[in-house]
Amino acid sequence: MIELDGITKVYKTGSQSLEALRGISLKIGKGQFVSVMGPSGSGKSTLMNIVGCLDTPTAGEYVLDGDNVAGLSFDQLAAVRNRKIGFVFQNFNLLPYATAWENVELPMLFDGKNGKKRRERVTELLVAVGLLDWRDHRPTELSGGQQQRIALARALANDPPILLADEPTGNLDSKSGEEIMAILTELWRGGRTIVMVTHNDHIAARSERTIRLFDGQVVA
Amino acid sequence: MSATLPRFFWSEYRKRRKRAALITFALFWGTLSILLLMASGQGMNTQFRVAFSGLGQTLIMVYGGQTSLPFEGLPKGRPISLYPEDVDFLKDRIPEILYIAPETYTYLPVSANGKEINRNVHGTTADFGLLRSQVPQPGGRFLNPDDVTAGRKVAFIGWKVAADLFGGADAVGRTIVIARIPFMVVGVLQKKIQDSMYNGPDAEQVYLPFQAYRQIDNRRRINQIHIQPRDPSQSLLIEDRIKTLLGRKYRFDPGDRYATSFWNTIEDGKEGMAIFKGIEIFLGLIGALTLLIGAVGVTNLMYAAAKERTKEIGIKLAIGARRRVIVGQFFLETVFVFAKGTFWGFITAFNIVHLIRLAPINYDSFGIEAYLLRPEFSLRIFLAYMTILGVLCFLSGIFPALRASRANPIESLRYE
Repeated sequence: MIELDGITKVYKTGSQSLEALRGISLKIGKGQFVSVMGPSGSGKSTLMNIVGCLDTPTAGEYVLDGDNVAGLSFDQLAAVRNRKIGFVFQNFNLLPYATAWENVELPMLFDGKNGKKRRERVTELLVAVGLLDWRDHRPTELSGGQQQRIALARALANDPPILLADEPTGNLDSKSGEEIMAILTELWRGGRTIVMVTHNDHIAARSERTIRLFDGQVVA
Repeated sequence: MSATLPRFFWSEYRKRRKRAALITFALFWGTLSILLLMASGQGMNTQFRVAFSGLGQTLIMVYGGQTSLPFEGLPKGRPISLYPEDVDFLKDRIPEILYIAPETYTYLPVSANGKEINRNVHGTTADFGLLRSQVPQPGGRFLNPDDVTAGRKVAFIGWKVAADLFGGADAVGRTIVIARIPFMVVGVLQKKIQDSMYNGPDAEQVYLPFQAYRQIDNRRRINQIHIQPRDPSQSLLIEDRIKTLLGRKYRFDPGDRYATSFWNTIEDGKEGMAIFKGIEIFLGLIGALTLLIGAVGVTNLMYAAAKERTKEIGIKLAIGARRRVIVGQFFLETVFVFAKGTFWGFITAFNIVHLIRLAPINYDSFGIEAYLLRPEFSLRIFLAYMTILGVLCFLSGIFPALRASRANPIESLRYE
């Protein structure tokens, strides 16, 4: 499902350059639940950005679902993000002026799905995360746990095969965190590939495999 | 179409509504300025044409003169006069002539209704009415061919002559006396704007059938001949033919500039129209510059919006928005800001133009107000305005929209 081969990412600022990833090669199979751990500056976020097609590598090959995405254009990468990858962020990243319903609907609007399909899918997802009654509420009217559940529903809107979660429980209390992990686990069991960045060993223990990064390299 | 995207747009727009208010006003003011200035320019242009046509439609006037060149043994300095028979002489030989009429006049006392005034009294033929825009008021008529042939004692008078002699009463059917000969008034000139004239405005003239006029002024020669070409573009050709024909008849060099003279209103009109067209373009440019100030404001607003919405743009890009979605969103907002300001500017300008047009024009002293009080809208103005507006709107919106769409999604997501 995800194949990285010799991925290097170098950031240049003026005459200085910083090697954030140093020839990372790894494979994540379809339906795997993988957590990525490492100290600050180890390259976790950079790796997630490349895996999530938000950034492109300086060198190396990235094959996602059989397609080499390293050479795709900005809009082609956007299409990949829209259809193949669902994002769950630590700080939720919901649109503040949009209702829960609209936030979930947005990826489908960008994909050009028709109104009937959108309505059915949004309803299904809000029921699944238990927030159908909150559909007309804006993010500021929801708790952190509710916001993350909406973000999860949004990530699943176009039914992507891969879910990328960047510290999904980092801003939540333990009960809400547990609820989110329960949903992620259920999604994994349903056959979805999940890649999750976390600092928390207990959370990482819920995944079936842990990749440890240090100084831009995979150490375990 | 989903109602979600328009609602998003409205939510985002509302946040900048107060800041947009000043810019909306600038666009309102710009639209008002450009439309009023363009309408004034077009109004002046139209009034110029109307005023110029008050003298006559595509008119060439031919006058006699004095030779300035010796010709076939004859010395220079010989007077060249025009005679009534020259009218048929020219008409028979120049097929490009549509209408032709002689005119001769003298200043005489005109009396009626116990009053006496001194006015120019003219002798002419029926074609003169067509040539010189002599439109009668309802119930009257201009001189007709039978009046001329039979030498009827009838008169067509200017509206000021009618007012001076008969006050507010209807002059048609009444009698005026000139050189002790009674003439029945058959028509009164309808009020018209006239900025070009000789011997004063037509409002103050009295016109008699040529043969009847002869009874009060028996000079052989006439003052001038009026001609309307079939095709206005042939006016200079007709001038040349007249010089050749009259030169042969009265024995002067056709190239002698002073033997005859012409008042070619077709050529003069082209110059006048060019001047007024220049004024119209100049006024339009001033208006466009005013609107440009508003457009610069919109650009600033949209750049600020792009900055403020960095995080939102990042979220949208992360979940799969293509660049065109971001461009479209910013462009839609730009169009909305423009539409709001310019719509009210358009409505206000339209109403102001209609109000100004209600103001009466003083036909007696045709002055600057006759040009300024008749602004007018036209499809041409609307299209010109929409073109300028479209260009400004596009330029105002495209650069902020492109900048927003080129945001780096990672950096945008980190933006606080």
